[in-house]
Order: sequence, then C-alpha cells, then structure tokens
Amino acid sequence: MIRAEGVTKIFGPDGESILPLLEQGKTKDEIQAETGHVVGVRDANFEIEAGEVFCIMGLSGSGKSTLIRCINRLIEPTAGRIFLNDGDNGEREITAMDDAELRELRKRDMSMVFQHFALFPHRTVLANTVYGLEIQRRSAEESRKIGLRVLDMVGLGEWAQSYPHELSGGMQQRVGLARALATEARVLLMDEPFSALDPLIKVNMQQELVRIQKDLERTILFITHDLDEAMRIGDQIAIMDAGQVVQIGNPEEILINPKTEYVANFVEHADPTGVLTAGTIALNFNDDQFKRVEDSGELIYFVRRSDPEGARFGVDRDDRLQAVVPAGHRERVELVGLDDIADRADEMASTGRRDDLALRCDEKAVLRTVLKGRSCSTVPTVVTDADGRLQGIIDEPELIRGILDKKGHREQADSNGAGPEPASGGESKP
Amino acid sequence: MTELLEFLRQLFTDPFGLLDIPVREWVTDAVNWIVRTFRDFFRSYISPPVRGVMELFQWALSSVPPLVFLALAYVIAWRAASWRVAVFTVIAFAFIGFMGVWDQMIITLSLIASAVFFCILIGLPIGILCSRSDWFYTLVRPVLDIMQTTPPFVYLIPAVMLFSIGNVPGLIATIIFAMPPMIRLTNLGIRQVETQYIEAAVAFGSRPREILWKVQVPLALPTIMAGINQTIMLSLSMVVIAAIIGAGGLGLEVYAGLERLNIGQAFVGGIAIVLLAMVLDRVTQGLGEKGPASRAKRSE
Repeated sequence: MIRAEGVTKIFGPDGESILPLLEQGKTKDEIQAETGHVVGVRDANFEIEAGEVFCIMGLSGSGKSTLIRCINRLIEPTAGRIFLNDGDNGEREITAMDDAELRELRKRDMSMVFQHFALFPHRTVLANTVYGLEIQRRSAEESRKIGLRVLDMVGLGEWAQSYPHELSGGMQQRVGLARALATEARVLLMDEPFSALDPLIKVNMQQELVRIQKDLERTILFITHDLDEAMRIGDQIAIMDAGQVVQIGNPEEILINPKTEYVANFVEHADPTGVLTAGTIALNFNDDQFKRVEDSGELIYFVRRSDPEGARFGVDRDDRLQAVVPAGHRERVELVGLDDIADRADEMASTGRRDDLALRCDEKAVLRTVLKGRSCSTVPTVVTDADGRLQGIIDEPELIRGILDKKGHREQADSNGAGPEPASGGESKP
Repeated sequence: MTELLEFLRQLFTDPFGLLDIPVREWVTDAVNWIVRTFRDFFRSYISPPVRGVMELFQWALSSVPPLVFLALAYVIAWRAASWRVAVFTVIAFAFIGFMGVWDQMIITLSLIASAVFFCILIGLPIGILCSRSDWFYTLVRPVLDIMQTTPPFVYLIPAVMLFSIGNVPGLIATIIFAMPPMIRLTNLGIRQVETQYIEAAVAFGSRPREILWKVQVPLALPTIMAGINQTIMLSLSMVVIAAIIGAGGLGLEVYAGLERLNIGQAFVGGIAIVLLAMVLDRVTQGLGEKGPASRAKRSE
C-alpha cells in the first residue's frame, strides 16, 4: 500500500548539500556540530501492506513525527521516494506529485489524526467531523449524514452540536478520529494520537481503534513512543533511533529478538504477556528435550528428559496429542482447551488448582491466556498446532523465562528475523 | 588659507548653516503638483463614493424615529454584550438627546460608521495580504507608522486642497488616521493562529483560500474585532479635528463652542462624544468576546 525508499529529511538552509556526508556515514551529532544541519530522518525504508497497522516507535526527537509528515508531504523529504498503491489507481509516486495532485491525495487517499487533536475551536463537533467532506465539496446534506454516522461509530452521536472545548481530551480525540475517518481515505496517518490522554482513557481508545479497524480495514500508520501501545495495536513495528529505522518486525519478533541495545532497552520494560505466543515460549517437542517411555501400540508416550518422573504425554502416529498423564497418575486425565476454560471459570474457582486437569492451547495463544489457564491446573500446558500436533510443553520454567527474560526456547531459530513460523513439525521427532 | 579657516570656524560654530536641505520647498512643490494633477480625479472618483456612503448612513440613521433607535440600540447592545451594557446604552443615548444634540450625534455616528466601513473595506484585505507575505508587510509597516504618527493637522490642508472643505475631507482624514490598527491587528490575528490548525487544514487537502476563510479568519476574529474597536475609538478622537475643515456633528459643536468661548456648548459636545465612545467600545468589545473561537480561548 505504501512503500518508502531511502526517505531522508535534513533540516537546515541547504539540506541537499548534507546528503554526501550521510553517505560517508557521519552521525547525526557530527553533522549537526559541523554544519548546523539537523538530520530528521535518515534513509528510511519500509513497506506497509493494505489493511495493516504499522507502528513507528521511538523516543521524542527520533524523527518519527517527521517521517509520518513526509508520507503526506506536510514536510518535504530531502531525498528518497514514497509510493502509494491503492489497487484501483495503480502505483503513484507521492514524492513526484505537484500541489494539485497532493491536495487530491490528502482529500481522498490519506487523512490524519494529530497528537494535540487540532480540532477547529470555532466549529462544532459535527462541523469538525465534516471538514474533509467540505473540502471535497460534498453537499451539505450528504456531509451531515456521513458525519453523524461516523460520530456514532466513535460513540459521540449525542455531542454533534457541542464545541470541542466542551469535551474531555479522550472525546476530543474521538472527534479527531471521526474527522479522519469521514473522508473515507484508505490510509490513516496517526501522529501519537493517544499520547496526550490519561492512561485509562488511552487503553480505552486503543481498544476502540482496534475495534473500528476490524470493521473498516484502513491502512494505518501509527506513531507512538510507547512500546506497549505499539504492541497492542501494531501488526508491524518499526523502531526509530536518531532518525534511523533500526528494526522492523512484528511485536513478538521485536520482543524476543531486539537488534540493538536501544531496542533492548525498550523491550526490557515492555509487558510480554500480551505479545509472546505459546509456540515461542514452549519447551520444544524434540529429541533433545523428550524421551519415549512407552508405546501402547495406539499411543506413544513421552516424558521430558529433565523430569523423567513427571507428566507423560501421549501422541498418535501422526504426532497428534491424545492424552496427558500427570505425575502421580496412572490414567490419562481430562484434557481441556484454553478457550473453553473461560466458560468454566466459576467451577474452576471453587475447586482450586487441580492436578487431574490438563490444558491444551494453540501455539498462537498469547502468554496471558496461558497464565490464566495455569491458575486452574498444575499440569504442564501442552501446545499444539492448528492440526492438533504436539509442539511443546509450557511449565513453570518456561513461564518464568517468558515473563522475566522475554525469551522462549525458539529464539535461536528466529535469530535471522524470519518470524515465528510454526516450528518444523515432524522431522526431528523422536 | 583664510577660506579654510573660515570653513573650520563655521563648522564649529554653525555646522548646519553649511548645507540647506529644502524639504519645505520640495513638499510644497510636491503637494502642489499632486493637487494640480489629481484634484479632478479625486473629486470625481474618490469624493462621490465616500460622500454616498456617508449620506446613506446619515439617511438611514436619521430616518429612524428616536424611540425606535433607542429600542434597537438596546437590543443590539444586549445581544452583543450584556443587559447591563444595554441599559447603559439607552441611558447614554437618551442623555445625549436631552442635552439637545441628538441630530449632531446622528451625523457623528454616520461619519464614524462610514469611516469604519472604509477602514474594514480597505484594511481587512491589506491586513490579510500582510499576514501572507513578510515582504509586503515590511513595505506596509513604515506607511502605517506614518499614518499613525503624523499629526492629523498636517494632512488636513492637502485634504482640503484636494477635496475642498466639508464632510468628505474630514472623513478621508479620519479613515487615514483610523485604519492602521485594523491592518495591524488583522495581520497579527492571522499570524497568531496556531500552526496545528493550519497543519490540520493542509492535511485534509485545503486550498490556501479555504485555509484562509475556513480557519485563519474565523480564528483571528477576536483580534480582528479588537482592531475594529480600535478603529472606532480612533475615528471618534478625530471628530473634533475633522470639524476644523468643515465636518459636522458633535465635533463641530465642540469646535464652535471653543471658537466663541462658549464653554457650555463645547462641554455638551464633549460629553456626548465621550458617551458615544463608551457605548461603541463596550458593544464592539462584547461582540469580539462572543464568538466560539474566543470562547474556546478563554476556557483553555
């Protein structure tokens, strides 16, 4: 949908004269000391798929706001090219557009939400919402209809005739979002939209955005300085440091495999429970970790090499998990999916942690749901893939490692940044 | 040798006697040339519209019966400011009437209305242009300084030479004197509009003209209203001076009173001017504070 190639912005009287210095590999500070020019963005390359939420994360001054403004050319990039491909019109180069084309682009294809809302104080909520439609020269009647519909969508239908200063910060930003959604632009640029809000309202707005995004499927470029926020809503995260994109990846990749110290610092304080997946933290089901102990003909039982007296796990000839026999039990026990456990929460609460209940979860389940399940059962949680094949086991050590170190057994396999592909199924099986 | 000594002596005792810059003659010549060349143009193209507007206001204001005038003044002041201002407005106008200078007040009011009309008509576009071009503003600024600081008496004479005596030259002098704050505050108001609003407007694909009329001017309105308020106040301060060259109204009352040493007559005119000034000030100030843009500013 959007592709950036070598986007660079240098602030100062003669930015282009600095480009050779960048190629020589001089740092931002060196260039500033020598020439007085400030490097805002340096050689940013990325591609955003249609319908994706792409987060750009970095500290203030890292160039993220500059970069997002280069996309709709509120700031003119010094070098580099930016393309928009929206299917219908083919690929267009934003960086080659003249003023009229650029206005057309901003009217139809890209809208924007601002950190400090930037609602027009002299216009009512509705009049703010339909501003973009007014610029598109839609009829007043049509604008009004669309405006009210979008306001309903963000939960502000009742406030159409109020003025922005009568609204709380969170409500004002809903208007900002409504104004951006009303133009039906397929690309939404959001410049730290929730940074100025209280923490509770912020989380609320994030959920709201995720909900709206599910229905509308816009392509969203989202700026934030909060890694947790980026992980909650982003499909892809680009991390910026001193004007450079230092790492791009999905939330889990960033979390388990930070490429630079800068990224690692962020990750250290991030909450992994909503990001790490069961497949990542599980003790992998392979020869190094598991030992075959019994073959009943129908099922093959395995135990962990580290805990030969512990629970036994039975799989069929296709590696599909069929039975779990906890330590101290002779027979297999009830096996329940994590998704089903939520429905039986009350029953579980009254019985306490049971040792005769085994839980299974999909490898894509996040750490938080695994933790929830563990509060009902003492038996290691088994992780399966979409076809029900055993992928691994999660017991206390894996949970602790996941929470504290944000690391899983699978990190080595991911160190080339390939992403958490389902681990290769059969070949290394015992 | 003696010539050199003589030169040095004069350099120390009377240095400015050495050179004579004949500004006096230049200005006289220039004004004479302007008057000779442009008098017909000014009298046939500038005077009629100015006089027309002035007479239109005068006709409109004087055809309203005094009681209806008071009622209208009450409603306008109440809507624009508050009921207190409205009550004060009615009392002030009634007092002016009872002092016996109602007709003169109507003439003064129409002079001011026309002056303000022309100040807005000319000043607003110039102010907007100034806000959009630093280059243009640097050019306009010294002109504004000259307009504001030159004592009005200085340009009364050329005004009379160009337009002869009467209301028109008085009005022209008033417009020149009262326009600068309109231009300055329009420029200031638009420049002060926060960049975040401009950025938002640009991000939604607005043309420069749409940004101007949908965002900048509405948000600058409180400041522009302050400019109009200043313009009104400056016009009022010109009514007595304009009376010297034949403008009528309350100013003439004061000027005639002074000439005949009739202190009472001069004071009646003076009091009426002050009351009119207070009413116009409160009402226009209230107007500036009422808009949503300024409401938002106050609640920040």
